[in-house]
Parts: sequence; structure tokens; C-alpha cells
Amino acid sequence: MLQWLQALVDGVLVGGVYAIVSSGLSLVFGIMGVVNFAHAEFLMVGMFVAWFAWAYLGIDPLLGSLIALVVVFLFGAGIQRTLIRPILKAPQVAQIFLTVGLLFCLENGALLLFGANYRSVSTPYQTESLRLGGIIVSLPYLLAFLMSGLSGGLLWAFLRFSRTGRAMRATALDPMAAKLVGIDTDRMHQIAFGLGVGLTAFGGAVILPYLTVYPAVGAQYVVLMFTVVVLGGLGSVAGAAVGGIAVGVIQAFSALVFPVQLQNLVLFLVFIAVLALRPQGLLKGASA
Amino acid sequence: MSAILSVRNLTRRFGGLTAVNNVSFDLSRGEVLGLIGPNGAGKTTLFNLLVGIHKPTAGSIRLDGREIAGLAPNRVARAGMTKTFQNVALFQESTVLDNVLTGGLLHEDVAGARARAAAILDRVGLAGIAHKLAGDLSFPERARVEVARALCTRPAILLLDEVMAALTPVEMEAFLALVRTLRADGLTLIVVEHHMHAIMTLCDRILVLNFGGLIAEGTPREVAHHPAVIEAYLGKAYAEGGADA
Amino acid sequence: MTEAVASPRAAALRPGRAVLIAAVLAVALAVPLGLDPQGYPIRVLTLTLLFAAMGQAWNIVGGLANQISLGHAGFFGIGAYASTILLRDFGLSPWLGMLAGMALAALAAAALAVPTFRLKGHYFALVTLAFGEVMRVIANSWSSVTGGPVGLSVPFAPDSLWMFQFGAARPYYYICLGALVAVTLVFWRIKAGALGYRLRAIKENADAAEVIGVDTFRAKLQAGLISATLTAGLGTVYAQFSYFFDPDTIFGVATISVRMALIAIVGGVGLTFGPIVGAFFIIPVEEFANAALAGRAAGLSAFVYGAVLIAVILLKPEGLLALFAALGKRWRERRR
Repeated sequence: MLQWLQALVDGVLVGGVYAIVSSGLSLVFGIMGVVNFAHAEFLMVGMFVAWFAWAYLGIDPLLGSLIALVVVFLFGAGIQRTLIRPILKAPQVAQIFLTVGLLFCLENGALLLFGANYRSVSTPYQTESLRLGGIIVSLPYLLAFLMSGLSGGLLWAFLRFSRTGRAMRATALDPMAAKLVGIDTDRMHQIAFGLGVGLTAFGGAVILPYLTVYPAVGAQYVVLMFTVVVLGGLGSVAGAAVGGIAVGVIQAFSALVFPVQLQNLVLFLVFIAVLALRPQGLLKGASA
Repeated sequence: MSAILSVRNLTRRFGGLTAVNNVSFDLSRGEVLGLIGPNGAGKTTLFNLLVGIHKPTAGSIRLDGREIAGLAPNRVARAGMTKTFQNVALFQESTVLDNVLTGGLLHEDVAGARARAAAILDRVGLAGIAHKLAGDLSFPERARVEVARALCTRPAILLLDEVMAALTPVEMEAFLALVRTLRADGLTLIVVEHHMHAIMTLCDRILVLNFGGLIAEGTPREVAHHPAVIEAYLGKAYAEGGADA
Repeated sequence: MTEAVASPRAAALRPGRAVLIAAVLAVALAVPLGLDPQGYPIRVLTLTLLFAAMGQAWNIVGGLANQISLGHAGFFGIGAYASTILLRDFGLSPWLGMLAGMALAALAAAALAVPTFRLKGHYFALVTLAFGEVMRVIANSWSSVTGGPVGLSVPFAPDSLWMFQFGAARPYYYICLGALVAVTLVFWRIKAGALGYRLRAIKENADAAEVIGVDTFRAKLQAGLISATLTAGLGTVYAQFSYFFDPDTIFGVATISVRMALIAIVGGVGLTFGPIVGAFFIIPVEEFANAALAGRAAGLSAFVYGAVLIAVILLKPEGLLALFAALGKRWRERRR
């Protein structure tokens, strides 16, 4: 019993990070209609930014996550301008393969620049944990969860209340109408893409205290992130939160039952099943 | 004569909206039946139910005595009923011949379908543009290709969904002449059309649909003078003498 | 008039093209005779032919049915594992193992078709991607049968056509050439035949296709089964040619799935000669990049690969054949 409760806690903590990491992917789809296969690579980029900030400037990854957000936001906005914008109206084949090409370039660009080494940070709280009854709550997991929750709340408030956020939602709902009322939809796309990949990079930075970074780390997250957004409904940021927690818990529970190599298998099967049965997501109607 | 098509209590709901409500009618072999009603009355939904694009919520559709409600559209086509599309749904990047030929593959191999398609194109007056791309055609040409493609499936019943919508009066007359020849060959037709003149001169019998339900049925003369119809629909269009609703 | 319209237009080859094809085939048959049967160039050519055939098999689904699969590595790996395991455990000829792998892949494709037949575009790509990954995870974890992450070696046998094993590359070259011709013929037959018409109709307007009698599920299923089966057969050829493979390579997204698609796209999606042109561009470029920079810059070839993909999509999404056609037209006009 206790081990299931422990798994539930672990799953929720990890799932919170999955939520923020995947909300960026959902945001990009919701506002631009582009499924970005390269999205998980920005998690890797964010981890590298945070690692370098830690290694050379001594900045804790939890703070470095803000640097990762800003740097990757700008990087993403540049990529949107040069690569994504030209294919916004192209057939889906073109969109799929452009972002797949981007995936290879980012992963292998990192390999060329930084080598295949695994890098990790050391922080004072890395091995700390809290005990609640029989449940152990790992401190780095908890901090990452809290940072994710905080940024998720800020994202929600931004989309809901800020002028830009509302303009972005308007662009998602009806680009023509948004244009007519004077919204610069092109700029909204750029902000949405920058913000989407920036949030994912942020998520990458906050998990750095308990993980290691290497160029291929993004590959671990590709199907995971799509499972999260498909569970929550492609394009729904609120859905990504629910999907993230769900995936975290599914992973943690399946780890109790199956050998560790099969953990991802369960995830993939859930993913295929969801797409087959409810491609519009488990929650319906909630939009960005 | 026995009915080729019997529709009983056909109903389709989308969420809270009842698009087609408890519709029943019979269609005799060789008959041309008109289906009219204001916008949103459920005409296209009814067509989509008949050919299987939508599944009925309740009710039965019998074609030659065989229940076809709920079958996939390709099964309905095989059973002998097909339709043209309201907004013209040609295969834009294929040639006219290839569009029509694809319909023929239902019963024949490619060579047989090609020969049949060529004969049909000849008949509907499109042989000269057989190798043009469907995407490059004019409106009257597109309407004819839609009909030709449907004919190539060798239907017993053909549903025409506002196929004359974009035509000028002259083009429409030519098109009506074509439809009359099809009828003379024994094809059974159901026609949805906003052009009252077309409907009144073409059809043996007319059904009037409003808010998803049948409100009147009869010969063109009867329907034109039916009080419920005049109120619901013709009051605005036909009584003012306009051919265009 | 009727006769003129009815004469088969697409099915017949123009005489000029038939001569060209015969000439290219003759050259393809003759080339290995001038090459060292053990050498590097013939190995690259063999690999190129094999990947051209793989791109062609993908083209049946991706080009004709417009279903963008990112999981064909799943079928490829099934073919490689099936024949190799049957050879290792029962000494079965890989030719028979190939048939077993093809049957297994057809089963997998049919199982996959049930959840995916309604899906289009991104969603289809995502599910097939997950399918390939499922196969990779299974191969990695089911060590007792697959050998696990370490991979699998083809048991050594002396030169024998029946055991599909040769010391030199030359026989493999001819086998791959034969495979390419066979897959291309299948592709061409489908494209010109009833299934091709049906798939084009579905691609352009699935509702209209259904209403005029096209069974869309069946047509997609047929295309998917044929494509998966051929891909599995090529997986066996790959296993025999390379002697060794591991789950991450044979079920890889980048190494197999995307590469198959890329080859078709670079040459020209849906065109009969697209994947051949694509493979003769991509594979030599990759090999050259790898050879020139071997070991020194890990990741460079994959980086270049991604960059080529991006460049093709941005500059010439219709592929190289369209580019050649445009250049050829301009050249002819200038001569006039």
C-alpha cells in the first residue's frame, strides 16, 4: 500500500514537470497549428544553458531556469522567423519533415558542440528529502514541481489577463478575425513559438538537479511529451497539466509492476490507445 | 409499382440539435423527387444519412427491400445509391477522365472503367475536356463532372445536391435537359435545389422539409399551394416570383 | 472521340523513357563487373540500392496513400529479426525466414491499421512513430529471444545462395538491384492500377471517394500491408548484408524510419522514380560525410542530414525530380 502511495507522490511530482514541459508544445500547436516534432530538443537546449550557467557562473539551475527561458525564447523566436513561418501554410508533410529535420540538427548540433558526455550539477539540496509519515519526498523533485507549478500559474495568468496573452488566444481561435481587429498574428506566432520552446527549456533546467544532460536526452521525451498533450487534448495548455500528472503517475505505477525497460512501453501503448479512441483528448473543450 | 427506396422514421440528432426528425417517404422506380426547404431545414443532412456519410440516430432506410441504414457510404454506393456534393467535391488534381473513371472502379477493372467513363463523358458533353485537370474547370463543367462521376458507379438512385447552384439560367436549362435524358433512361432521382423553376419543371413529386421534419408532400402544383409551405418557404421565394431563393 | 479518350494514357511507357530505363538497367548490371567485389564503392552502391527500395516501399504509403509514416523501421526490424532468429535457432534459410518476417509484418500492419485508419496527418505520423518505438523497446527488453541491446549477429555460413550468405559484396549488389526493381514494379502497378486511383481519390477527398464506392479503409489497409510486407523483406536483406544489427539501429527513427521517408521526399513523393533519385543523392552524401570525417566529428553526418531535410522542404518541397524537370525545360528553351 505504502509503495503505491509513494509511487503516487513521485508520479505527481515528476508529472508536474512533464506538464510544464509539454504545455509549450501544446501552446505552439494551439496557436500556430504546427506539430513540432523537434520540441523535446529544446528541453535539452534548456538543460545545457542551465548547466553552463551553473558551471561557469555558479548559478543554481533553479535560477538558471530563468536564463534558459530567456535564451531559448530568443532562439525559438529566431527559428520561428527563419524556418517555421515559411511552412505555416504548407502541407502537413512539409511541416512534419521540417521539424523532424530541426530535431536532427539540434540534437547533433549539440553533439558536435558539446560532445557526448553526460553532465550533471551538484547542489546542496540534491540528496535532501522530507519524510511525511512513511512517504519520502525528494527535495529536488519537490522544488522542480513547485517551480513548474509557479510557472504554469504565471502562464495561465498571462494567457488569461495580459493584452498579449489575450491577443494570442484570439489568434488561436480565428486568425482572420484577429487580423481584422488589428492583431499582428505573425508577431503572436513568434511569441507563441518562443514562449513554447522557452517553457520547455525552463522545465529542462529545473529537472537538472536530479538528472544529467547529454545531447540525446531530448529523444527520451519526444513520445512522452506527445502522450501528455494528446491525453490533455492537442492545443490545450490546461489539458497539458492534467495530461502531465496523468503520465507521471502512469509511469510511476507501471514501474512498480513492470521491469524498468518496459516503462516506456506502457507509455507508448497508452499513447496509441488514446490517439485511437479519443484523438481530441480526454478533456474536451478547454482551449489555451 | 413498389418503392425502390423506403425511408421510415429517419432521425438524426447532433448533440441537442435534431437535424432530421422522424422523416418517412417512399420513392418509386423512375421517379424524380424534389426536396425543398429553407436553409438549415436538414436537406443535406438527409442526403448524408441516405448515402451513409452520417449514421442515423433512429429509423430505417430500405433500398430494394434491403436495409442500408448505418452502412458505410461505399456499401451504399455498391447497393446502388450515390450523390453529388453541394460544394462540388471533385478530385482537383486528377483529370476529368480520372475523376469519372474512379467511380467506375466500383464494378469494373481500370480498362472497363476507362471505357465506361469515356462513354459517359461523351454523353454529358465533356469528351473534349477529358484530359483537363478538374481543378481548372468552370462551374458548369464541374457540375457535369460531378454528375458523370456519380453516373459511372451505375447507380439506381442518384441524389443531386444543389448541383445547379452556381449556374446561369442558360447553363441551367442545358443542365436540366441533361437530367431529363437521365430520367428517360430509367434513373431514379432525388433533387435538392433552390431554383424553384428547376424543381417545379423537373420533379414528379416534392417533399418539403422544415426544421428537420416533413411538412408537406405532393405534386409541384399541390405543394406550391400548400399553406404550410407558403408560410415556411415559398411565401418568401416563389410568391414573389423569384426563381432564386 | 470516344476511342481517343479511352486509349490508356498513363499505363503505357513512352518509347523514349523505355529506352532510358533499359539503358540505366544495363549500366546497373554492368557496373559491378568493373568494381572490386570486396571493395568499398560496391558496398556503398549496394546500400544505395537497398535504401532506394526501402524508400520505394515507404512511397506506397507516404506517396500514394498520403499517410506519413514515421514508424516503418518497425516493419524493417521485424523482417531482420524474424529471419535472423529463425536462422540462429533452427538453421532456416533466410529466404524462408524472409517470408515469415513478411507475414509477421503484415500482421503488425493490420493490427496497427485498426487504431490508425481514421487518423490523418500529424496524428498518423505520431502513432506510427510510437509503433516503431514500441518495437524498439520490445527488442531491447526481450533479451532471451532478441539478444537485447547487444544486438544480433547472423550465424556464419559458407557462400551459398540458399543460405543467403556471400563473402563478397557483389552478389548482394545484384540481390538489392533485383529487390529495387521488384519493389518499383509493385509501386508502378499500384499507381497505374485500380488501387492507385482509389488512393488518389482518398487523398484528395475521402468523403467523395466513399460516396462513389471507394472502400477507404480497405484501400488504405491494402497499401499499408503491401508497404509493410515489402519493408520487412528488405529488412532480411539488410540483416544478411550487414551480418550484425542492434535494436537502436534497426528500429531507429533517424536511421531507418525518417531516412526511408527522406529518400522518397528528396527524390519526389509519389513519383515512381523519386526514391531512386533520392537514394542516389542521400546515401552517397552520407557515406562521403561519414568517411571524410570518421570519428572526428560524431553527429556531423546526422546534422547534415537534418539540414538537407530542412533545405529540401524550404527550397524544393516537390523534390529533386521536379528540380531536374525544371532545369531540363529551361535548358531546352534556351537551345531553341
